[in-house]
Amino acid sequence: MLKVENVTKYYGDNLAVDNLSFEVQDGEIFGLLGVNGAGKTTTFRMIIGLLNPTSGKITLNGSPINYDVTDSIGFLTEERSLLTKMTVKEQLIYYGTLKGMKEKDILERMDEWLKKFEISEYKDRKIKELSKGNQQKVQFISAVINNPKLLILDEPFSGLDPINVEMFMSAIKVFKEKGSSIIFSSHRMEHVELFCEKLVILVKGKSVLKGELKKIKKDYRKKNIHIKGDVDEEILKKIEGVVSVEKNAEEYIVKIESDDYIDDVFDKIKKSKHITKFSVEDPTLNEIFLSKVGEAYEN
Amino acid sequence: MKTKCKFLIKQSLNKKINTKSFKIVNVLLCLLLIGLSNMDRIVAFFGGDFANEVTIVVKDDVGVAQSFKTLFEENVKLLQDSKSFKIEEADETLDKEIEEMNLEENREKRIVLHIENDDANYLKVNIISYDENSTVTNQMIISTLNTIKYNMAAVANGITPEILDSLSTPIETKITLTNEEAQNQNGKDVISAIVTLVIIMPCFFLIVYLVQMIGAEVNDEKTSRGMEIIISNVSPKVHFLSKIIAGTSFVLIQSVLIFLYGVIAILIRQALGGNDAIMSLDAVSKAGSLLETVKSSGVIETLLQGLPWIILLLVVSFLAYAILAGVLASVTTSNEDFQQLQTPLMLAIMAGYYLAIIAVGFEGAVFIKVASYIPMLSFMLSPVLFMLGQITIWELAISTLIMIVFTGIIFKYGLRIYKVGILNYSSSNLWKKMFESIKQK
Repeated sequence: MLKVENVTKYYGDNLAVDNLSFEVQDGEIFGLLGVNGAGKTTTFRMIIGLLNPTSGKITLNGSPINYDVTDSIGFLTEERSLLTKMTVKEQLIYYGTLKGMKEKDILERMDEWLKKFEISEYKDRKIKELSKGNQQKVQFISAVINNPKLLILDEPFSGLDPINVEMFMSAIKVFKEKGSSIIFSSHRMEHVELFCEKLVILVKGKSVLKGELKKIKKDYRKKNIHIKGDVDEEILKKIEGVVSVEKNAEEYIVKIESDDYIDDVFDKIKKSKHITKFSVEDPTLNEIFLSKVGEAYEN
Repeated sequence: MKTKCKFLIKQSLNKKINTKSFKIVNVLLCLLLIGLSNMDRIVAFFGGDFANEVTIVVKDDVGVAQSFKTLFEENVKLLQDSKSFKIEEADETLDKEIEEMNLEENREKRIVLHIENDDANYLKVNIISYDENSTVTNQMIISTLNTIKYNMAAVANGITPEILDSLSTPIETKITLTNEEAQNQNGKDVISAIVTLVIIMPCFFLIVYLVQMIGAEVNDEKTSRGMEIIISNVSPKVHFLSKIIAGTSFVLIQSVLIFLYGVIAILIRQALGGNDAIMSLDAVSKAGSLLETVKSSGVIETLLQGLPWIILLLVVSFLAYAILAGVLASVTTSNEDFQQLQTPLMLAIMAGYYLAIIAVGFEGAVFIKVASYIPMLSFMLSPVLFMLGQITIWELAISTLIMIVFTGIIFKYGLRIYKVGILNYSSSNLWKKMFESIKQK
């Protein structure tokens, strides 16, 4: 279990992370979200031991993060961290050995992963000769080749097409099933929403929202009502509590301030013709994210 | 952590040695050294006129040709002229001999000497050549003929052949110099040339290469962000040490290889017949005398006496330059920045190089002697001054010890900068960050 307790980090006079606390249980996928410069990478660097917190404590299974435990951590950086003059094989041996692995084990796992990601033929190619997506795959393999107990993924889906995103997601889920603690960041909220159980949203280094995704959504009072039928858009807009009305190809999406206004909306549209859908849905994570980040900046 | 350190050193060394460029450069270096030490043979192999021999055809109307030949050859030996001469008596008439001399292939190689009787002065001579002869050649001919004339006069005046022999035998001469430094000057010139070739030049190139190599390697890992992965698994200290050890080891391996290529070149030269094969070439005779001078100057004994300190000083200096190169590379964010920041380091190398080169011409210069104790300069200066006899072995040892202490200090404080620098990707407030990191323990 990864435990981050009251961690604060200053760069000179600049506050990068402000009293941040969270836990990532074994077999749990945790999302660390925030806009650029929110303190995500600094937090990752503190977890991996690259930076020391100004105050607070970070432990993995009760032990402080140091070079005795880093062999059981996998880290995928946001930017490419591959030594591009090396071949794929050399690179994986290099990073694997630094994780304390024996070359024989590295080669076995490398072959498995290259096969899984369908890039076996690139084993002896120089990394600089690979496409961006394939480089990302190699980088991912280098992060997981040691079967980490804690896997840190900073923007893992960057540069990947939807098929490869799916491939990465299933690989990450395998580690979750094996009991690894996984912490990751992404700008793509739909990715976070798909397999993230708990999350924290950072704004200017401070946590503005934290907890289980389901609960966060449930507790978030604003709701979206999806309506399909012959409805007068102007009537909808005039209902109290309605924030906005959007229309896409098939339906109206009515955003309301809280679930207290659901009945009001229903009363107004029930007289309309051909109503085939009236569905109250939780807002997307993206909406919650934008709302929380916006509020934090306003404050 | 030791295993990881060993792996990093091995990896870094492999990256330098297991490359095509390293292999190609070393094959070229070996061939170059063999070629340079056998340059005379290579030149001779492609043909040309190396004889440099001048034939003096003597048209003798007096009967002194044989005497001329004997005396002239003695003169040539005495003056150690680089040209060789062949004396022939003319078979043909004077006109025909001149005609033959004027042929294109003989113009530079033939002189016709017409010796005639002179009632008043015993002899008169006409030195005939296509182009102007060298002053030395004319002087030797005239001097020889003067001796013959003197002999003729002596015989004519009743002096016996025995007395004449005694008179013509050169005086036994011994040159004694009371100024010891003047005595050693020739040896010192040779030592200077050898030290420049054997120590200064290779050291200069190897140090420059070492700085560039470490800088490029650290920058490569840093700019690709691979550094974050590396430092998350091994401490900056281990990483720093691995870079320094691998870089220094590489330079030492390269030094040993260059030395081996030199030995191979000498062995090949010896196998091909040493210096005797083409002695007519002036350069070779000079090279032969150079080796003799080296043997007689005691340079080998001096070198052997100071060798342990010289090797230690060189190894520690390589380490120091590696440390500084690593530190500078760690604080830069690109290879271009490193190239700029390494300028002071390059200037230090250049200063050591130039001071070492000019040291022989400024014997006893206080500035150069003091500079030989200054770390980063001492590795080139101290061995040179020691070989030239300008400093003692104790002074060489002191320079080495100062360098060891200095290296320890820059490692201690350099590591602090390195720890912060390798994970810093911003060039703003660079110097402030560096100085602040020195204060951090």
